[in-house]
Amino acid sequence: MSLGHELPEGHSLTQSNSLRAERFIAHLEPIQHQLAVFCSRALNRSDETADVLQSAIANAFRDFDKYSEGTNFRAWVFRYVTLESLNHNRAARRAPSELDEQQMDQTEILNIQTFRLETLLDDPEAVLDHCDGVVARSLGQLTEQERRILLLRAVGDFKYREIAEILDIPMGTVMGLLSRARTQLRGKLLEYARQNGLNSKGESA
Amino acid sequence: MNCQEVRRYWDLFYDSEGDAELHFQVNEHLENCVDCAEWFDKQSRLESLIEERLGNDTSAQKVTPVDWTKVLINAGVTPVSKSRPWLFFSSGILALAASLLVLIGLYGLLIGIDSSPSLSHLSAEVHQHVAAGSLRPEFESQSDIEVDEYLLRRVSFPVRCPPRKDSGFAVNGAGLCELSDQPAAYVVGTVDRRPVSIFVLPKESLDAFPLQRAKLRGEQLTACREGDTEMVFSIVDKNIVLVAGNVERAKLTRVLKSYGTYPHAL
Repeated sequence: MSLGHELPEGHSLTQSNSLRAERFIAHLEPIQHQLAVFCSRALNRSDETADVLQSAIANAFRDFDKYSEGTNFRAWVFRYVTLESLNHNRAARRAPSELDEQQMDQTEILNIQTFRLETLLDDPEAVLDHCDGVVARSLGQLTEQERRILLLRAVGDFKYREIAEILDIPMGTVMGLLSRARTQLRGKLLEYARQNGLNSKGESA
Repeated sequence: MNCQEVRRYWDLFYDSEGDAELHFQVNEHLENCVDCAEWFDKQSRLESLIEERLGNDTSAQKVTPVDWTKVLINAGVTPVSKSRPWLFFSSGILALAASLLVLIGLYGLLIGIDSSPSLSHLSAEVHQHVAAGSLRPEFESQSDIEVDEYLLRRVSFPVRCPPRKDSGFAVNGAGLCELSDQPAAYVVGTVDRRPVSIFVLPKESLDAFPLQRAKLRGEQLTACREGDTEMVFSIVDKNIVLVAGNVERAKLTRVLKSYGTYPHAL
């Protein structure tokens, strides 16, 4: 990647910082989508993802000297994004169940039929295909810690030990809260499916 | 393990966490219990679908790609210069540097050098951090057996044990890292009280390091030097093993040759 291209007129990076920035961006680019998804899911309002992500990345770059080359950059930078999204949610003090309009729309488009209890496990697509918004809303109903642990595992694909290091908590807590978060998320999906009468494919009420 | 106990470990099993013994016991139970096998299968399918949906966030698509250079400048984390004379001067230096790079590139093509990631260079960097004390291993122990157990438990690819003490290597710990995005395990210790690091990668990682792949054809032992760091590396079983240190090459070779010779690891 060539630095200095498309910069604001009259601006240029100093040479040492150019090399530093080039190295940082080379590490960052392969994981930027993963970071964006994590950030979007971790925030109570996904339309603020770009601002929060960019702020977190700027913070990480400030501390880039503390990063040891050859160690786990992904875990290192996720720590900044995790912290920034937490701070942002706290500052905004928004209700965790707040949903984007787009997500609300998705949850309303349903065929109301009768629900069968085993549907979720027998035919999960039948439920999940209708409730992307519910997944997002259910995430918002978890505690901040549970949500971050679940997302670091599901989106970041981190091992328990790495999650413990990113969040600076014991590994046992990661295991316990992850299990609890998964159970709660499934519970919300079941509850939603029951209320809205989602049925397994081809079955009538 | 009964059905209730096995189901309690579903999270660990699904996330490939826990030790090898646990996975062995769960697998053994699932082979003999149709109900639990079906239960595990359904749980895993639902969870992977939820993860898939969590990973497909349309609003995140709008965020990337980002011009990170601009982001860093706009955030004011990189010093900027607005001086035109300096800009011209910088441009001159850049042009000169570009010309030199072209010449180096042409020279490299002529003598067969390319700019691919170098396993020896990256390993030397990590080793230097370990030697300087700026990188401490995740797991610290002076017991070969404990380090061996740690590696078997934590490393996702096939890995063999650290070398025997009689090779002159005194182990201090081990950890995991990534070398050019390839998973790697490292074992740190000393030979003659001087720091020595052993890097272990799955054999398939060689595809990411064309320079080393070319050198390792035929599985012969290869030696090189990065600054003050001597290195020897070879393919051992299913691993690439690289030993780096500031000691004589013959001593590093002895460590490499003793790698993975415990009977229980065979």
